[in-house]
Amino acid sequence: MDRRKFLKQTSLLSLGGLLIPSTFFSSCRKETLFEDINYDGKVLIIGAGAAGLYAAYILKSRGIDFQILEANTNYGGRLGRLDGFAAFPIDLGAQWLHGQNNILGDLINKSGTKITLDDSEEKYWFNNQLISTLPKDLNALFTNEENVPDVSFKDYAIAQGFGDEYKNIVENIAGDSGASASLISAYWKVQEEENWVSGDEDFKFEETYFDFIDKQIATHVKDKISLNTIVSKIDYSQNDIVITDSNNNTYTANKVIITVPISILKSTDIQFVPSLPEEKTTAFSKIGMGAGMKVFLKFTTKFFDQNIIGGAICAAYADDSIGKIQSDIILLAFIMGDQADYLTALGSDVAITNALLQELDGMYNGQASASFVSSHVENWTTKPFIKGAYSYSTIGMGYARQIASMPVDKKLYFAGEAMNLNGHHQTVFGALESGYTEVGNLLKDVKG
Amino acid sequence: MKNITVIVVFMLGFFRSNGQEVKVDVGYKYLYSNQWDKAIQMYNFSRPNLIEKQPLLIHGLHTSISSIFKSTKNVKQGLNVSYSYFRSLAENENSINLINLHFLNMGYMLHYENSEKLKGLYTDFMLSVTSSGVFRRLNEAPFIYDEIKSKAFGIGGEINVKCGYYFKLKNKAYFSPYVMCGYTPYLFSPNTEAVINQTKGLASKNWTSILTGQVGLAFHLK
Repeated sequence: MDRRKFLKQTSLLSLGGLLIPSTFFSSCRKETLFEDINYDGKVLIIGAGAAGLYAAYILKSRGIDFQILEANTNYGGRLGRLDGFAAFPIDLGAQWLHGQNNILGDLINKSGTKITLDDSEEKYWFNNQLISTLPKDLNALFTNEENVPDVSFKDYAIAQGFGDEYKNIVENIAGDSGASASLISAYWKVQEEENWVSGDEDFKFEETYFDFIDKQIATHVKDKISLNTIVSKIDYSQNDIVITDSNNNTYTANKVIITVPISILKSTDIQFVPSLPEEKTTAFSKIGMGAGMKVFLKFTTKFFDQNIIGGAICAAYADDSIGKIQSDIILLAFIMGDQADYLTALGSDVAITNALLQELDGMYNGQASASFVSSHVENWTTKPFIKGAYSYSTIGMGYARQIASMPVDKKLYFAGEAMNLNGHHQTVFGALESGYTEVGNLLKDVKG
Repeated sequence: MKNITVIVVFMLGFFRSNGQEVKVDVGYKYLYSNQWDKAIQMYNFSRPNLIEKQPLLIHGLHTSISSIFKSTKNVKQGLNVSYSYFRSLAENENSINLINLHFLNMGYMLHYENSEKLKGLYTDFMLSVTSSGVFRRLNEAPFIYDEIKSKAFGIGGEINVKCGYYFKLKNKAYFSPYVMCGYTPYLFSPNTEAVINQTKGLASKNWTSILTGQVGLAFHLK
């Protein structure tokens, strides 16, 4: 064999030796999960909140038959819109997009939806005066993250030197996690924040969060939503799952994705036949669901700061007009945990409003009552199909979220913000993530 | 680029001045990472709005420079520095999503050749420290949402075996077509899923193993 011939053959052999297998293996590697799975069964989704809507959207994209049963008169779950109260539509539920690196960030980008960075400044109500900077840097709470014990966030804060005078400031931080500082686990709060990859900046929608989800997700599946359908029983004892609603209508499916809030799963509102495994109900009971309400206060003059942190009645007030095109003078009182329980116990919207005005008057020398126009109270705790704000991680919770989210008998799948396992619970995109994860688990079971 | 050229020229000069064999190669590289596949597959699965799906990280380019220390033995020792680049580009309405993956390896090599028995055939066995970087560009701009978490760096170890055949070009210059396969048993890259699928621990592990295959041409100065 001469050199030229050898060279040619060696080159061809080398090239072929790599390219042929690489082409073969490349074609074996699918771009999408479950590309080759065709499922002709029927899937029922209980709950038309963010998780349910997104699970439905994924099922639709796969050509799988589904129906959504929603107890409320409208879809959206803990998203909502109020018109007519202000010059701009009000977010009744979820309002801020926490970070851009999430599935909704992609949708915002693709759809050209307008969002605004909320870089509003904070004032603290501290020792009966409004100040811009606290004597102690709150970042000190998070400097020793590797050795955080599984105690309440309140006790942890005290141990870090944030004692009684910081009580309501600490309540504000806890409020972001959905409950009072005395109930939230400091350990799990830190663990979950380590998994947080969405980014730290907060954004607001020019319209509302509800509008965005409506236009980008619900629009694809809203024709499959049955509203006012209150599921009372799920019988998964036979091959076909039979669901009964409060009017004794029955629905049959092969698989069910349950996306109701954890508060509903903790209650006896839905009867399971047979009963869910004990480890699952125990896991539900370990996941917390705190009280929460939003009160919108309309004024004639803008006497308040952009954010007021540390009130004893409400630990977090925020100027609600930030990020909106139309201007109006609306102050949002964002109330969680014990503070929400206290205000709920007052018994009426008028009493709640008066309590807040009294606190604001103390901060701003009576200007609140003097310029008050009207209020709207959105109490998520008293809503029968929600019963709270969002899930939080309790002391001693362990891996309750993992157990709670596990499918049962390859028939029942559990989604929703409380079932998010990657640190994004309490968020709308966390609910979406759990929605598509459970569709993935469903298809994995179909694949066998 | 200018800096890289200066470094390469300096290294070539240094190695040659010590009478060593210097080898520069370029080629095509095939990549298989089960975990990174999962992250991209989950990204595509969870975003039905994508018309053009995000391709898996499979095909890339590779280049390396090696110095084989002077010795009369058939088995010689050497050092190797290599760089590889992969990309995954999906163009959708208002969204041009580009994932860039870079590898930089530095390692020790054993070079075997026996011109009496095997003519121009040679084999290299390499042990390297491998570092990786995954970056996302959205609509032709770096997607920075967090100074640390927007990037995914990794570190691990790699084993490579390479076979080639020398052909003389002129005086001390040779070239050789080669094939190479590599295995990285463990590359710790905890943030890669966050860059690709915008989640952590949902679709993949924080480490991956990697299989690679390469074909290319090497140029030698002996």
